[in-house]
Amino acid sequence: MDMILLAELAVNGVFVGLMYALLAAGIVLIYKTSGIANMAQGALAMMGAYVVVILAGSLGLPMWAAIPLAIAIMFAFGAAIERVALRRMIGQPVIMVIMLTIGLEILLRGVMPGLFGAAVKRLNLGIPNAPVFLGDLFLNRAILIGGGVSLGLILLSILFFNSRFGIIMRAVSDNQTASWSVGIKVEQAIAVAWGMSATMATTSGVLWGATQGVDWSLSLLLIKALAIAILGGLDSIVGVLVAGVIVGLAESMATGILDPIVGGGTRDVVASVIILMTLLFRPHGLFGREHIERV
Amino acid sequence: MFFRKAGISFTRYQDERRIWRLPADRWTVAVILALLIAAPFLIDRLYIISYLLPLIIWSMAAMGLNLLMGGAGQIHLGYGAVIGIGAYASVHAMRAGVPFELAMILGGVAAAAVGVIFGAAALRVKGLYLAMATLAMQYIVDFVIVQFPAISGGSQAALAVPRVSFLGIAVEGDNAPYYVALAICTVLTLFMLNVRRTSFGRALAAVREKDYAASIIGVDPFRYKLLAFWVSSFIGGMTGAVLAVCYYRTISPDQFHLDLSIQLVAMVIVGGLGSVLGVFLGVGLILFAPIVLNQLISWGADQFGLAIPIDLRAHLPLMLYGALIMGFLLIEPLGLAKIYNNIRNYFLVWPFRHARQ
Amino acid sequence: MSLTRRTMLTGAAVAALASQLGARVALAQGSKTIKFAFPQDFTKIYTFVTSEYSQGQRDYISLINGRGGIGGYMIEPDVSDHANDQPRAIEAYERAKAQGAVLIDPLSTPVARALVPRALEDKINLITAFSGRSDAADGTAFPYVLPMSPNYWTQAGLLIDFFKQQDGGSLQGKTICFVHIDTPFGKEPLPILEKLAAKEGFKLQAFPYTPPGNDQSAIWPQVRRARPDWTMFWGAAVGQTVALTEAVRNGLDMNRVSSSVWLSESDMQVVGADQTVGVIKVEPCASGRDPKIIQDILKEVVGAGKGAGPEDKVGTSYYNYGVMLAALMLEGVRRAVEIAPNGPVTGEWLNAGLTSIKEFTAEGMIPPTTITPEDHQGGGRARIARWDGARFVPATDWFSANQDVVWEEVRKYSEEFKKTGK
Repeated sequence: MDMILLAELAVNGVFVGLMYALLAAGIVLIYKTSGIANMAQGALAMMGAYVVVILAGSLGLPMWAAIPLAIAIMFAFGAAIERVALRRMIGQPVIMVIMLTIGLEILLRGVMPGLFGAAVKRLNLGIPNAPVFLGDLFLNRAILIGGGVSLGLILLSILFFNSRFGIIMRAVSDNQTASWSVGIKVEQAIAVAWGMSATMATTSGVLWGATQGVDWSLSLLLIKALAIAILGGLDSIVGVLVAGVIVGLAESMATGILDPIVGGGTRDVVASVIILMTLLFRPHGLFGREHIERV
Repeated sequence: MFFRKAGISFTRYQDERRIWRLPADRWTVAVILALLIAAPFLIDRLYIISYLLPLIIWSMAAMGLNLLMGGAGQIHLGYGAVIGIGAYASVHAMRAGVPFELAMILGGVAAAAVGVIFGAAALRVKGLYLAMATLAMQYIVDFVIVQFPAISGGSQAALAVPRVSFLGIAVEGDNAPYYVALAICTVLTLFMLNVRRTSFGRALAAVREKDYAASIIGVDPFRYKLLAFWVSSFIGGMTGAVLAVCYYRTISPDQFHLDLSIQLVAMVIVGGLGSVLGVFLGVGLILFAPIVLNQLISWGADQFGLAIPIDLRAHLPLMLYGALIMGFLLIEPLGLAKIYNNIRNYFLVWPFRHARQ
Repeated sequence: MSLTRRTMLTGAAVAALASQLGARVALAQGSKTIKFAFPQDFTKIYTFVTSEYSQGQRDYISLINGRGGIGGYMIEPDVSDHANDQPRAIEAYERAKAQGAVLIDPLSTPVARALVPRALEDKINLITAFSGRSDAADGTAFPYVLPMSPNYWTQAGLLIDFFKQQDGGSLQGKTICFVHIDTPFGKEPLPILEKLAAKEGFKLQAFPYTPPGNDQSAIWPQVRRARPDWTMFWGAAVGQTVALTEAVRNGLDMNRVSSSVWLSESDMQVVGADQTVGVIKVEPCASGRDPKIIQDILKEVVGAGKGAGPEDKVGTSYYNYGVMLAALMLEGVRRAVEIAPNGPVTGEWLNAGLTSIKEFTAEGMIPPTTITPEDHQGGGRARIARWDGARFVPATDWFSANQDVVWEEVRKYSEEFKKTGK
């Protein structure tokens, strides 16, 4: 096996993993504050990318204005979902809540292409496609930038958890009732978590949309994000970062080493095996807190 | 008005435990069954083949899933894969000359064996984590089926089902598959109606409510969770065999993808967790709402010249599907079964609606 | 509140019933019409092609109907969405059958595969253009399944032949990379390519990617390292644009990157029209607005405000595929009317017409196509086109190549189908 190819795959894998991790961070954020697994995260990414395309394409806004505006719109949308739908589900069994977010996913997958066209749309961030060579090592510019932006945002959200509002959110995730009794606005904290999560989804939708174009298939990013969130531990942002790198590396290496042996695309199976192994050996992930149940 | 009894009040526990608590229920069911048996003579073959038959088969699958989700409280997002295992195992058996009756059971056993391995994850994790474990199962089974030509049937990945007979009746034409599916579904429905009256069903309910509490009162959650996975996967596998023989006739891997799993979970939830009647209602709604909506739109377009853009028109059923799931969860989380119950209770005490049911 | 809801529900129920009735009535009055059913996938996998393809089909049918139909018969297309979902597709099929449709075009490989046994039994013509089983080219095994277009084996054979022409008549010692989606569809050309590799002496390297292919970043560095002389990428929808994007990012020579018929102008726009100059595709029919038929459609259908979709889509590759298929179907009808002018309109009647299409060129838009009861592929002719930054420009004339290898494979699988039904 060629060492340089391995190095290329490794670098690529790490940065792609970081791009997935950004979406996973949104899932973690919501789970941390409200204990809900948001299966619509991929659909939110798709919606965010659609909004950018609409703002930039149909309304003719420049990219630097369209993206922040889309992020603002999506923040409001995320907070609105929480208010309209998820809040009414408090106290329902976990199956119901998961299914509600799956319903939302299906709904968005119908509404966006239905209203704004199903054909693939171009989303041009202006990142040049020309390859970058570091000695003999080939680096993919779009993925480097995408991974870098993702890393920045995830680090930012870790910092955020040390700010005053971040501490409020940690309190909410620890114990909602207790937070309430000391005067914390629990609803507000959860709404902000949803808004931020939608923001992250939008960013990752834009980053992926720049590579693959914008259509419904952006919502398929969900599976990878879930694998990362589970491996890292559903309530740990640091875990997402580590798990993103691990999953990205594992997938990239599997494609390079396993595929020729198996003769098939093993990428998704690797994600599934990671989920299964994590659940069997460390159900709460690498960095997740164990949930203690009382009768 | 419609019921000769006003409200259900019992003096003995035996009465309350009966399947049909009211004579009217028994009659309703008998009439519906008679109508189903007579259906091929009453309605067009189109409605038998493309509405009633899938309704029956999907209901069987949803009942199997409902035993797990509504009965034992275990979520399963990989039930499509379970059905797929059953279908492939039984079709390969039939191609090797095993009779349909036996192949069906073989499919069930194969599905149950694999299902239990993945269900074993349920012993360590629950809720959301279990959902993820079963989701992973879906992907792994899909991968295995596609990657091994010996399973999927060569480069065309289409495996034809040979002509078979069920208890001496050749399963071909329009009506025979329908009757075979109906017969199996009837047996399964009776099983499902009875299961919660048994100790097994009650143990599952205890596990569903709180597994730690169940173990304190002497119900072994380990054993019953595994049993629930076993029974439910067995039903799924059998359904796979029926699906292959009576409906698809050629099976290919994409028939058993994640979409099927999500669809079945949606059916169970829209119908009402744990309800046998709800399963049929939920399956009917989820399966046919998109088709009817589609026809409605094209009819509207023909009659009134509604100019809906093709993209929008094509995506409306998908929107409806999502909206149905969300709407039911938000407005009536107990599903169609609960709505039916409300209506029934209303009529039970009619016209004294202030009275207790 | 409850009243309005009830009213709405009742209204919906009544309307649903009425829609069923409407279908029945249409059947009763359909004396001089021929029903074609086009249940296609508008919402799931084939979204990238279906709306343009369907628009082309309907526009061409409007064109012919507008001119008075064929021998007094009007064509009635019935478009619906099956979302690549088999129960819905089977429902659509059975409904079409009940309404007396004689032809069905599902434009989806999984659906076509699932409908094969039904179509063979019911004698309804199943069109599987650019989809379905490649071995359906053998009309003796699949009398009612008609691809009517070069199948994937032929397309792969054409590309290899084109590479050979470009490299001075020999591929000895060359490396050809085949990047494909890891589904039965993506793996389909492999046996042909392996055979041709043995015959022509080139080295074949296959790289499968996981469906749907929205992340291929780990695949293409390996392709680049293999230093291919030619690259073929084989997928659909998002997999195609991602493949091309990664090929550009990895600095592959665009003049040596190629794909099947599944590449359109909008794909090139998504990747970047100026960065992909030189990319090769297989063209089963002329693209653009130059062909006479497209001009006629623009004048008589779109110009008259009867177009089935946005005007700017007229003349795109996939739109023209739709026109091509509709033209072939209607040529089949014309032949059928010639053979038996008074019908009765059945699947068998149309099948006789479809399988006697001879040297049909759709006024120069498609290669001369001859469909016989044995050969349902139509001769396996197409041409190679290159992207010049704005449109696909033909690089060759219509030609066919490697048909002996293709037919060997077709017969092998169709024999197996006859024997075991696989």
